[in-house]
Amino acid sequence: MSATVPTPAPTDPTPGDRPTVAIDIDDTLNDFSHTLRTLPIPYDPTYALSEPTFAAFLARVREDAPESGDLLSTEYSYFRYRIHELCYRAAAPRSDGVDFVRWLREEGWRIVICTRRDLRRAQACTRAWLEAHVVPFDHLFMAANKIAFCRAWGIPHLVDDDPFQIEHGGAHGVQVYYPVMAKHAALPPHTARGFSSFEEVKSWIRASAS
Amino acid sequence: MDTRVGLLSAFSRTFIPGVVKVEAERFGFPYLADLLAGGGELEYGQLTTCRLLHKYKLVNLPAARIEALLADHVAGALNVCRYFDPAANDVFCLNLDNNHRTESTALIPEMTLAVDALRSCLAAAGCEPLVVASGRGFHVWGRLDSPVPNARLHDFMLRAAARALLAVHEAGRDHRELKVNSYPDVRIANVVSLRLFGSIHAKTRVFSHVTARDGTPLDEAASWRTFEEFISRQTLSSTAFEAAHRSLGGDGPASAT
Repeated sequence: MSATVPTPAPTDPTPGDRPTVAIDIDDTLNDFSHTLRTLPIPYDPTYALSEPTFAAFLARVREDAPESGDLLSTEYSYFRYRIHELCYRAAAPRSDGVDFVRWLREEGWRIVICTRRDLRRAQACTRAWLEAHVVPFDHLFMAANKIAFCRAWGIPHLVDDDPFQIEHGGAHGVQVYYPVMAKHAALPPHTARGFSSFEEVKSWIRASAS
Repeated sequence: MDTRVGLLSAFSRTFIPGVVKVEAERFGFPYLADLLAGGGELEYGQLTTCRLLHKYKLVNLPAARIEALLADHVAGALNVCRYFDPAANDVFCLNLDNNHRTESTALIPEMTLAVDALRSCLAAAGCEPLVVASGRGFHVWGRLDSPVPNARLHDFMLRAAARALLAVHEAGRDHRELKVNSYPDVRIANVVSLRLFGSIHAKTRVFSHVTARDGTPLDEAASWRTFEEFISRQTLSSTAFEAAHRSLGGDGPASAT
């Protein structure tokens, strides 16, 4: 993804509009990376790969390796999506995260689930996961650049673990909150707020709304 | 009603009722409320990586709302995409895309070889296609007078695509430079949409024109005339489709079981 963030004029909030927050799913509301590393995934001939290729590809997927070449669609990219989809279904919810979203709903917030997942393919399983874990939401959006999305839609709060969003949110008027993880250790200076419990986000967001 | 809207409605007759994807440069909650003012729901939305282009998959839309969106589509205000029926369709589409991340809109030699071979293959089988320029290549469409089971359409398209890629291979080129998708795809019929004729390309803002047999791009007016002809005169009968399928090595119609 480009390190630049388009800066659209934010949409004017509708008078009397509800406060709105955007929330990521993977590694924010669930344990996707842990699931990706540890979920038992046996060989299956329907992957249309030899067993050695399957094992090699699976090892790369577990390391979160992207497609290495310039081609968009390859055997590996298709396999990687299939494994990710397994993990979308199998990932465990973060209980305090689910409680947080339910609290937002009770407080009258508009909740936008905002994910990098390819919702063209993963919409059904994503919606099923949210419903199975009773995660309330108003809208489901996919965006790689969530800062541009939030700015365009006038959403001032984003909960997300992605370093790109953490690094760029402050400069574009989006307050980002992120669950602190090892990958955040070397981030450049930013104004996002790291948390260990969603209770912290609740207090920050409550203060910002008052 | 604009005759172009009527053509698009005729082309869309077997697509899933009430379901569209809208591609628009407009966004925001008030715009979303406008889109859904007559009823319907947002299944999901997307901010693409191309400028601020947004996509909205809308479901349970009233027919009148879809007609209004088609009017916006022909006016160039947005693009409308429709979804294939999960069981049977009277339209098939082979999408040939440049398979590169970078320079993905470049017209590579493999693309020219493949689209020429595909057009020739289909025409020889008695199935003259409509070839429409897309951002990263071409869409090659056929239309039938009645719905055909998706598995059969897919088998037909795979056979045609294999011949196109063989031409690329025999010319000493790498077929992996291209991505060929055939729709409706039996594996993902419910998630893939077809951008209707008359769309404006998201990146280039250029009308998706028809290309003539010699590869010449037609202008917008001529493209619409060709599309009208495609609807009125190039619709294949079931018998002609079966003959085309057999000519590509397919077997007879599947028996009802």
